[in-house]
Amino acid sequence: MFSRIKRGATTPAIPQSTAASPAAILTDEPTILFDHVSKWYGDLVAVSDLSFSIGPGVTALLGPNGSGKTTSLKMISGLIGQSAGRIEVRGLPPRGNIETYRRFGLVNDVDNVYPYLTGWEFVWMNARLQRLPDPDAATRRAVDIVEMGPASDRRIGGYSKGMRQRIKLAAALVHDPDVILMDEPLNGTDPAQRAHMIELIREFGRQGKTVLVSSHVLVEVERFAENILVIVNGKLAAAGNYRTIRNRIDNRPLVISLRASNPRKLGAALLGSPAISSISVGKDDHITAETNDAATFYRIVPAVARQTDVRLLEIEAADESLESVFSYLVER
Amino acid sequence: MFTFLWSPLPVFMLTLRQFSGGRATRVVALISLIPVLMAAIYALVSNGTSTLPEEFFAEGVFRGLFVATLLPVAVMVLATGALGNEVEDQTLPYLSLKPIRRIRIVFEKFLASVVAATPLILGGMAIAYVVTFRGDAGDSDHLTYLWSALAASFAGILAYSAVFQLVSLLVARALLVGLTYSLVWESVLGRYLPGLKIISIRHYTESIFVGMLDKSNYPSLVQAGNQMSDPTAVGTSAIVIVVVAIVAMLISTWRLGRLNLE
Repeated sequence: MFSRIKRGATTPAIPQSTAASPAAILTDEPTILFDHVSKWYGDLVAVSDLSFSIGPGVTALLGPNGSGKTTSLKMISGLIGQSAGRIEVRGLPPRGNIETYRRFGLVNDVDNVYPYLTGWEFVWMNARLQRLPDPDAATRRAVDIVEMGPASDRRIGGYSKGMRQRIKLAAALVHDPDVILMDEPLNGTDPAQRAHMIELIREFGRQGKTVLVSSHVLVEVERFAENILVIVNGKLAAAGNYRTIRNRIDNRPLVISLRASNPRKLGAALLGSPAISSISVGKDDHITAETNDAATFYRIVPAVARQTDVRLLEIEAADESLESVFSYLVER
Repeated sequence: MFTFLWSPLPVFMLTLRQFSGGRATRVVALISLIPVLMAAIYALVSNGTSTLPEEFFAEGVFRGLFVATLLPVAVMVLATGALGNEVEDQTLPYLSLKPIRRIRIVFEKFLASVVAATPLILGGMAIAYVVTFRGDAGDSDHLTYLWSALAASFAGILAYSAVFQLVSLLVARALLVGLTYSLVWESVLGRYLPGLKIISIRHYTESIFVGMLDKSNYPSLVQAGNQMSDPTAVGTSAIVIVVVAIVAMLISTWRLGRLNLE
């Protein structure tokens, strides 16, 4: 079961300081609940024993491509069924439960929208299918929110990718849902559209809606989500406050590769430095050093090279990729 | 056109918009012109042949080519696209993640296939009739051929629309499966294994056509020599067609609710 963590006074959605735990998190009143959920396709496991719960506010679902983010969002929205475990949205299983569809809006990552409809017709149709009493007014409001008014009478087939993202968002918002799921909503947007979309996401959070936004870009989520769930290879790698997890990432051991005119001399001189936890010289004369304090490491290496009269030829972080960051979180 | 229907039937109107001017509709229009082409050729060479217009229209055009191949293929092109394209293009969540019953989605999609197919297919058949009978087309006796062909065609459109819509929810390559069904099951197996005809839409479509002609006492059809054997009564055939359409839509509804939209 979940490890129960009380909601903090200043963080309404997800409590602080759960980044170190690979276990799930729980709010007092979860809007979305994942309880030991798995999804597999034959031998391929897309999501493995994933447990979390989130409440109102903006939460980012962060992970590299193929980590299970989209699969998780599709299971939450009921588009696909889970192979094992329990999913609830406001206390109800979403799969096949059409009443839950009144409460949430999904902006999926599929680029296809009916190209033969105008933006207005598409949003209006969504309003009508939500059985809204005044679909015209709801459509006008949603189109205005995403600032698509002037282009709404044009066919979607002529829209840019960013415009399609915005009209999809308008369609998902037309019934004013209190749960919003967004799969990579910033893909294909230009800087101005991106800034507007981020402000919208933050505004939804301020309004008390439960917003779950997937992204594979670490620095991107900082701009809209206070809380994040990190998923790697279908498993929960970390969960909690963005700043806490970011600090852990920044302080993780870094493997750095060096090339120098005399690698053994430089390696021996660096060996005693407190910023270096291990150092080795390979057969190809590359020095491989591991550090827990990258800033200090980058400062002392040139100084030591000067003192020992060794020419520093190259210095490169060997594991700066996003995947390595996520892998580090998984290992923790 | 039909804009007032957007409010009560949004899925129907969406699908009609999808069909309008689309490739599938153009293909169906072309298929519907094939009987017209046949009738035109017949009109050009009929002076040198002993085949009566009644026999040509009933056996050559309607039973020989139209019901056997053109009708199922034409309806299949539209019906497999109605929901199948939504699955393929991954746009189905725009409909399925709404608080409306699945059967309503299925029914409105079915209705759109029928409405899109009917004027094209029946229009082609009506033109083929006029070209075949030319100056005698207005005779009330000959008009029975037209009404019989139109009624039977409409029955076929109903059944094939529902069945092929279901196929598109069951398999990824619905067009291929539909073609195999039309050409192998309905045409070849039905011909050589007579027992299969009772589970063939073609049989009931033909039965409605032949049954309505028999009532009008046309000896030319009987004299054709290759007339339909053991047709089912018109009323029974109509009921079977309706039942097939309803059952196919119910299964489609069940399937839609369990579809994994990856």
